[in-house]
Amino acid sequence: MTGGYTGKILRIDLTTRLIHMIDTAKYEEFGGGYGMGTAIFWDLAVAPGEWDLKDAYDPRNVLPIMVGPLAATGVPGAGRTNVCGLSPETFPTCEFWRSNLGGRFGNMMKLAGWDGIVVQGRADKPVWINIINDQVKIEDGKELWGLDTWETQNRITSMVGGKTRYGEEWQQIGDTYTTTRPEILCIGPVGETKSRLAALITGSGVSARIGGHGAVFGAKNLNAISVTGTGSVQMSDPEGVLKARILQMKTYTGGDIPFASGPGAASCMPCLRADRRRSNYYGGESMCADQSWYFNNRNQTAQDKACEALIKSGLSSWSLHFHAMSIEIEGAPKFYRKKVPTDSGLGWYLQFLKEQGLLGPGKQIDSAPLPLDQWNELSFREALIDCIVRREGIGDALAEGCCRAAQKWGRLEMDRDSGALRLPAWGATSHWTMPFVEWAYAYMLGAGDPAWHGFMAPTGVPRDGTPLEESLEKLSKRTIPYTDDIFMFNYAWKGEEAWKTGIYSPHKAKQVAWSRHYSAFWNESMAFCEMFLPELHSYTPEMEIMYYKAVTGKNDSFADTMRIGQKIWTLERAIRVMHGRSRQTEDFYPYMYMPGASGLAVYGGVPIYEKGKWRSDPAPDMYLDRKGVDDFKSHYYALEGWDKEHGWPTRKTLEKLDLERMIKTLRDSGKLGTA
Amino acid sequence: MVDTKKTENDTKSVSRRDFLKKGSAAIAAGAMGVYASQPTGDALADPIREVSYLPSKGYIVHDSRLCFGCQSCMYACSMAHEGVASPSLSRIQIIRDAPSFTKYPYDIVMSVCRQCVTPLCVQNCPTGACHIDTENGNVRVIDPNECIGCGTCIESCPQRPHRTVWNPEKDISMKCDLCLNTPYWSNKGGPDGHQACVDICPAKALKLVHEPPLQTDVNGYDVELAPPQVPSGSFMDVFNQDSDDNQKEGE
Repeated sequence: MTGGYTGKILRIDLTTRLIHMIDTAKYEEFGGGYGMGTAIFWDLAVAPGEWDLKDAYDPRNVLPIMVGPLAATGVPGAGRTNVCGLSPETFPTCEFWRSNLGGRFGNMMKLAGWDGIVVQGRADKPVWINIINDQVKIEDGKELWGLDTWETQNRITSMVGGKTRYGEEWQQIGDTYTTTRPEILCIGPVGETKSRLAALITGSGVSARIGGHGAVFGAKNLNAISVTGTGSVQMSDPEGVLKARILQMKTYTGGDIPFASGPGAASCMPCLRADRRRSNYYGGESMCADQSWYFNNRNQTAQDKACEALIKSGLSSWSLHFHAMSIEIEGAPKFYRKKVPTDSGLGWYLQFLKEQGLLGPGKQIDSAPLPLDQWNELSFREALIDCIVRREGIGDALAEGCCRAAQKWGRLEMDRDSGALRLPAWGATSHWTMPFVEWAYAYMLGAGDPAWHGFMAPTGVPRDGTPLEESLEKLSKRTIPYTDDIFMFNYAWKGEEAWKTGIYSPHKAKQVAWSRHYSAFWNESMAFCEMFLPELHSYTPEMEIMYYKAVTGKNDSFADTMRIGQKIWTLERAIRVMHGRSRQTEDFYPYMYMPGASGLAVYGGVPIYEKGKWRSDPAPDMYLDRKGVDDFKSHYYALEGWDKEHGWPTRKTLEKLDLERMIKTLRDSGKLGTA
Repeated sequence: MVDTKKTENDTKSVSRRDFLKKGSAAIAAGAMGVYASQPTGDALADPIREVSYLPSKGYIVHDSRLCFGCQSCMYACSMAHEGVASPSLSRIQIIRDAPSFTKYPYDIVMSVCRQCVTPLCVQNCPTGACHIDTENGNVRVIDPNECIGCGTCIESCPQRPHRTVWNPEKDISMKCDLCLNTPYWSNKGGPDGHQACVDICPAKALKLVHEPPLQTDVNGYDVELAPPQVPSGSFMDVFNQDSDDNQKEGE
């Protein structure tokens, strides 16, 4: 194998308690991380054809927890860990979906000698997995069950880390030594009670928040995975990595995303918000996003405490999303009160129900035990967490997520249609989405939030005063392989231009495809923090390739890597198709087709080309057209090589992408696209 | 005393065996693990001699308040010296009190070789492998070709954790040499050159200085390199938006 890989992936079947090793080389064509995880999911969960892929809690659900070749090599921002599998959180069906997390768990996994850990089956009683280099044990988890995420990590550390004193001694492990402690990925009580809002937590505040995979751990009776690694990671050109990194540090100008990590850090940290001085809590991994999404309050102490309770419970701040920002939009439904949230989830939906007088003690939806009169207090946020953890009163419905709760309350259709359930598609928390249409389309084509900011800043108002058209031309030079088409960045959303060169045109399909392919390879599989790369104003694609070559020694061009990205994205599509995805089921929630759908153009506006001229426009009035979205699907499917009628990958496409082994499964299921 | 005139291989095999046989159980255990606060074992039986050493012309100081705990320096050190990424082979150790969630500023310990004014590692090395490189700014270094792997330098280091590091792949000790000998990094090191850990640190929490810091305790090396700038508020504040929507709307 080339540099960066350890060469082996751990496979643990909790039902049989058998521990296997998978040769990483078998999956090297998928890059690493998510790419490999997706292929492993296909091989273990889809291809055998023994499972209908409906229930995320089925023991046959497979969870690959993977890192990429750049992890633990000193490449900044590339130590993220990807988790994928059938998601219990998506609605109405459990879709194949992924999340990722930073911190140091992934690096430690590599240092222990593993490119990934694949978990399948279900233990007959609570267990945790103890990995010390090549020694792997399934341990009794009885005493961990019921503990919060911090207690779990402390308990495991005391068991694994021996009696060495912090900061004073080396610990001997076999013939090797370390001063570091184990890195632990775990769930809290909400994972154990299988709340669909359960995250996977490591450290004090790092979490894989999207998808509810913490509940899959709970369903498998798996409380935690602890990894201690004292090994080494080989790379092709260590000096090349050091040089690339120092070069990037010297030339870094602040990045496209102002709070991004910058060219620092061996793992995905630190970023500005994760500065350990910023919060009172253990640093380098503070709960930055949690504070914005769950309890954005001027009282830092209250904010910290709310988020500590959240993380300890193992809940996802993402799913419980109140909202961080809002804007006024003319014509939006009245219940928004001219404050349309740019992002929203369960918290915002509760606020809507409260304001409508539907939620309260003894009301249509009984709020007990929530103290609604303390809405803006720490006490309310803590009570909300507590009732979900205990599944007490309203907490039992909320633990299932807002769509399933709305369904239980008989409000699903009306609130989905009105936009009160402001979720773009698949019941997923809303985040940006509009007017960044490529983001919205990624929601629909995937299974929820793509959480990918790559085009937001580069298509915003040019910060250096460069004329907009000139700025877009420069941008279009970097978007290999779809270069020299500035209409990819046209956000014209109404009138003839929307269909000709705007958001319903073949040009927009290219932008969406670029974002999906880039994300699949560079962010999910090479595991670069998506707020760190791409940097489409400056470093992309040169910097990615510089790091990639130095570590792996491969001579792939950027276009080659984008092809691997397309391959991963197409494989992901094949899994969804096997699951039931088709053109007919792939759609937005109704509010996206109504005034009020737009959000905040955070970089000043999006480029709009009309009447022969470009302008930056915040587009607060943007909403989608049903026929337009339908037309977009046709263009997009054609570009990806999926058939027009169903959106299924065709034989020709699968052959072109070296995905022949998927052909038989799709064909036998009657879901192979015809050209 | 070890016959250092023997060939390198002979010296290593014979003298290491001699030391392991003669040395204490602590040394035989691999020259690591938990050490008593005072040196022990036959190899260290002599009282500390009053010897003057030429002071190093370079010292790495650190600011534990700036450190992110990202371990970049550890990766850079092992990559520059050993050609692999391995915190266990790094001569600088950043130790996070994880996951016991100790709060700032007590959550991170930066463990950096002090280039001691009176280097016990040099003083007690039986072969002279650990020595003062007078041709390169008096840096305290270990010659990997002369090291017999007895672990005396590790036992001798008065710091906790010890700054001399065991390399289990080569069966020798290693220590910070201010990047004088970096086979995988071509930059000139030493007191007049670059150090991989210093150059790579994204927090600028490491710095090379030329005057010896206070030797009395760890604070001599843990210095304020930049005034603390404590960010506050929410990460969404960078967008300069109204960050307390929740408060207002709920009212």
